[in-house]
Amino acid sequence: MTAHLAEPIAADARAASRRRPALGVLRWEVRKLVAQWRTRSVLLAGAIAPVVVVFVMRGQSRPPKDSLFGRYALDNGFALALLILGFASQWVLPLLTAIVAGDIFASEDQQGTWKTVLTRSASRSRLFGAKVVAALGFAVLTLAVVAVSTTAASVLVVGHQPLTGLTGQVIPSSAALRLVSESWLSMLPATLGFTCLAILLSVWSRNAAVGIAAPVVLGMVMQMVGSLGGVEAIRPFLLTTPYEAWHGLMTAPQFIGPMKEGLLTCGLWCVATLAAAFVLLRRRDITGG
Amino acid sequence: MRRIVITSVAVLAVVLGIGSAVVATGGDSIVTKARVERSLPQVFSNIYLQQADLLGHTGLTAASLDATAMCDKGGPDHPDVGPGGDWICLMSWTDPNVPMPPEGYGKFELNIHSNGCYTASGSSKLLGYQTITDAKGDEVYNPAYEFDGCFDPNGDDAPTGHSFESVLSVLSTSVKPDPHGAATIQIGCGTGDGGCSGTVTATAGGKALGTVPFAMQEERTGELAFPTAFPAGTKEVTFTVEEDKGFGPTGPVTLPVLGG
Repeated sequence: MTAHLAEPIAADARAASRRRPALGVLRWEVRKLVAQWRTRSVLLAGAIAPVVVVFVMRGQSRPPKDSLFGRYALDNGFALALLILGFASQWVLPLLTAIVAGDIFASEDQQGTWKTVLTRSASRSRLFGAKVVAALGFAVLTLAVVAVSTTAASVLVVGHQPLTGLTGQVIPSSAALRLVSESWLSMLPATLGFTCLAILLSVWSRNAAVGIAAPVVLGMVMQMVGSLGGVEAIRPFLLTTPYEAWHGLMTAPQFIGPMKEGLLTCGLWCVATLAAAFVLLRRRDITGG
Repeated sequence: MRRIVITSVAVLAVVLGIGSAVVATGGDSIVTKARVERSLPQVFSNIYLQQADLLGHTGLTAASLDATAMCDKGGPDHPDVGPGGDWICLMSWTDPNVPMPPEGYGKFELNIHSNGCYTASGSSKLLGYQTITDAKGDEVYNPAYEFDGCFDPNGDDAPTGHSFESVLSVLSTSVKPDPHGAATIQIGCGTGDGGCSGTVTATAGGKALGTVPFAMQEERTGELAFPTAFPAGTKEVTFTVEEDKGFGPTGPVTLPVLGG
């Protein structure tokens, strides 16, 4: 993974790690990510796919009324951006973040590079921290790319008509753009939660396929359990429930209770999964592998 | 491999444990009668004003509509809580341009999700079909035909106290004589509060066929048989409903006799 990086970069990073060791390790992780086609293709897909979806949707004759905002999605750009948001939160966002986070530890196993990276005067905790920060940073970047691409494409292609909100109120275009942006921003806590989950699965399984696929599958299971009647007491603990907190932004008056609960839920998930991942990594016998 | 299997089994056991604990304690749903009864009129008022705007009806405000709703999930025997497509709401509002039916409300069907978002569709008689002709003469999408709404999962859950009586109607379109020549009819009691009860009196050509009492729950139908056989050659039978509970037909109902 690191062999083909140019020597000046390596020297640069070594110099940085002498000055601030933690930062140096992080820079290494970021360079490794940037060098991977996987990372680049996720960002590229996140930028292009929404544009394709917007054009395909515009060609539809019947609006997808089953989803929120689907009713107006064909003739209102804001509604289309929110329809795509609802769809993205079902499995696309967990998948995009897991493609990097689910692989970031497992790839060292697959390539047998643990000994190499750990002898580079980086402690396990420092390496763990660097990889976590890199994965979380990538999640933020991916979400931003998808959000900007979707919103821009929807508004430019379909238009910026006033939007009918979730209490039937008419939202003027300027306010609608702000609310759509805030709704996309509200995807962040749960997406970071899925990133942490993918990191745990990556550390635990030592297998990139598990690290990437399992968070998506678990997300879909949580989605399904959360939509069932009779077991709704479990909803506040699910990582997918915060993905629905944006509904409160689109009503008048707004309600942000679910948003606050969602922040707490995602924080707990992150702390628990990262702690478990850290313990697993610390206790691992790497000298053998 | 063994490590993965053991951990997976352990995780599955924990998940199942939590799941069954939740099921055992009975999940409290955020979808309650009171929240739906508060949310639907609010969403509906905004949507209805959009429609009025398209139709060129002026002078309406959310306050002047004064919409109130009574909601019920799954009939009289089902607790009114939880997500599902079997929520029925009765809603009244005031619009001088569109008079209400005699019972004073319209019926809405709601499909409510566990997150507090729902799709509602109402009666076409009051709200029109999928497209309407706007004030300029164009065919446009009717916002009130079907609409979506969401309510705050932590919103006010105190009972609203709104209630409407069931619509009591004669369901039969003709009178069928039973083997003894007596008249039988079907009556139905719609969604509402307290069910339906009262009496039905039947007359055929000036001859009284008897008075039969009835009492039934909401969302039920019943068959009434009148004691006296009607004379041969009777063409029509007239039924007069006297209701104690429920909102009955506003006048006598006259039905043709099958094969009469």
